[in-house]
Amino acid sequence: MASSTVSRVRRHLPTSPWLFAAPGLLVVGVFVLYPFVSTLVNAFTDRRTLIPGRFVGLANFRELLHDDMFWIGLRNSALYVLGVVPALVLLPLLLALLVQKNIPGIGFFRSAFYTPVVASIVVVGLIWVWLLDERGLVNSLLETIGVGRVGFLSDQWLLLLSAMAVTVWKGLGYYMIIYLAALANVPRELHEAAAVDGAGAVRRFLTVTVPAVRSTMVLVGALSSVAAFKVFSEVYLMAGPDGGPAGEDTTLVMLVQRTGTGLTGRVGYASAMSVVVFVVTVGLMLLVLRADRKEEA
Amino acid sequence: MRISRRTFAAAAAVAVVLPLSACGSGDDGGGSTDASGKVEGTITFQTWNLRANFKSYFEGVVSDFEKKYPDTQVKWVDQPAEGYADKISADAAGGTLPDVVNVSPDLVAPLAKAGLALDLDKAAAKYRKEYLPGAWASHRIPGMTGTYAFPWYLNTGPLFYNKSLFKDAGLDASKPPKTYDELFADALRLAKKSKGEVATLANVPTIEDFGRYGVELMNKEGTAFAFNDTKGVELLTKYKELYDAKALDPQVLTATPESSGKKFLTGAVAMNPGSALDLGNFKKQAPNLYKNIGITDQITSTGKVNMYVMGVMVNSRSQRKPAAVAFAHYVTDAQRQMSFAKKVAIFPSTAGSLDDPYFTKEDGTDETRVRIAAAASLKNAVNYTPVLFSEQMKTALRNEVAKALQGKESPKAALDNAVKACDRLLQQQG
Repeated sequence: MASSTVSRVRRHLPTSPWLFAAPGLLVVGVFVLYPFVSTLVNAFTDRRTLIPGRFVGLANFRELLHDDMFWIGLRNSALYVLGVVPALVLLPLLLALLVQKNIPGIGFFRSAFYTPVVASIVVVGLIWVWLLDERGLVNSLLETIGVGRVGFLSDQWLLLLSAMAVTVWKGLGYYMIIYLAALANVPRELHEAAAVDGAGAVRRFLTVTVPAVRSTMVLVGALSSVAAFKVFSEVYLMAGPDGGPAGEDTTLVMLVQRTGTGLTGRVGYASAMSVVVFVVTVGLMLLVLRADRKEEA
Repeated sequence: MRISRRTFAAAAAVAVVLPLSACGSGDDGGGSTDASGKVEGTITFQTWNLRANFKSYFEGVVSDFEKKYPDTQVKWVDQPAEGYADKISADAAGGTLPDVVNVSPDLVAPLAKAGLALDLDKAAAKYRKEYLPGAWASHRIPGMTGTYAFPWYLNTGPLFYNKSLFKDAGLDASKPPKTYDELFADALRLAKKSKGEVATLANVPTIEDFGRYGVELMNKEGTAFAFNDTKGVELLTKYKELYDAKALDPQVLTATPESSGKKFLTGAVAMNPGSALDLGNFKKQAPNLYKNIGITDQITSTGKVNMYVMGVMVNSRSQRKPAAVAFAHYVTDAQRQMSFAKKVAIFPSTAGSLDDPYFTKEDGTDETRVRIAAAASLKNAVNYTPVLFSEQMKTALRNEVAKALQGKESPKAALDNAVKACDRLLQQQG
């Protein structure tokens, strides 16, 4: 009797965790895994929105190699990483140092710096478009001081730089909060010891603060590089659905959206591009983490 | 019950293979084209951003139809303008396309090719004579036989211009340009007089511009594009001159219809296409502009303006085809189109409707003047947008036009590239 109870318990025990996990697994399966696997499979077909595809092997990937727009998208996404990530690793740290001290009214500044994070990206994009327009506030100011109007939204490179500036402006507050948490864990004694040894503010920053928050910097670098490579909204809102003049500001994700949607969308081809985005972002993550591990060693 | 590795592997395999099952499983057949039988059952009717302004009109149409056919029920759904094509494509791909759908010819083409649009030449031929022949033909697809939507309302927007900007440049504000040659001359003069401060247009040439300039857009068979001919190159070369002279807005290469409209509102550009609906906006948002507003016909060198056509399509896989066809016809018949035209600045596609005094008699107001001029121009208007010209093709053309305007490519090379890209996309559409 006792042994049969034990065997029954053994038989049933493993089921329970699965039952508890089932709702979550179902959601993850349907909304995460299935679309992911579906994208992988579609990448090897010539599927279109309304017409089921046939297996075409590596044809989509071969076509990507000869697609000028793909290379433009890849270039712009890579440039975005190079332009945005260093700024998003350093500036929020400096900002966090500024607002770290508990002085009267500091809460206002912390909230002000965090406001762009919670603002809708569409609203943010529209505001910056108004500011940077040929007849917008920034150009009016530049004209007043004799610089003349600058084509922030009409020049290929200035447009990309403007979009990067918006990404940095919007992301500062988010990473600042992460750094604030990390800075709170830096022992005060280290700073005090360095100060006793005669280290100035810059030296204390380089020898005490930076090493103490290095792992947070790696995390911020990894998160911001993946987000930067997948940028869509800022460029879409500022450069328009075509991706700037002659599509020269198109990023990879914009290209995926443009290629794969609509009644005549090339779902298979867009999926192949998505696979490239996935591989590059995973690669970026691994690269950053590997670099971190090497330094630790 | 232990979940063994084998079970897990099998589940993973199913997850991988499941999406593959979608490949090749589609049914290209559009189902039966027989729409005879009793008009009964519940159908869904989808419109394109019409609920906000015409709720009571459509509720009336639905209620009248249900009274006429007591065994029917119509569920009216309206979708916003933004992303309408994406909504249709998601529904079409997911098998949830409504029974009756408001479409434009370029939306009908891929749906018809996928076998989702009912051929009305077979299913509803008896209604054909009620519509203008050109309107009925507007939903035919090159390379296919049949007509795939009832023609609904037609539209042809006027061109607005800022009289005071014209006067400042020493131009006669009572004689706006009518042809492209006149437009180019006036635009260069406006730019010169304002030292590049005032542009005439805030949009680059579209496929409709090529059509109105007299360029042959496609070959006769509808199998390849042809807008890279001498005339097409000539048009783009002239636009390049305008761009260099700052007669086009500096941000023209990233412009959208909305941004162009705003530029016109602020007086940064002198001319902008629009519709009679815009007059109300000008009155409200830019009273100074409204005082100086000039209204003229679309620029055309062919003598024929561009006409936009709306249609009502019947889903070929509808389970209630007789009711769907009857309702699609009901919404688009002469009586309903006429009453809709009196609510908004659109024009009926039904035979004889444009001869109604509403479209021919002046009453001294600007709105009536626009309406009468537009109705008159519709009689020989052309829908210059090829029905097979997809969104991806529009982007390809805009990108190549931008390269030509920036001087990165010659107009000829840019148009050759655009035609090549569009032909490739056309072939991929199948």
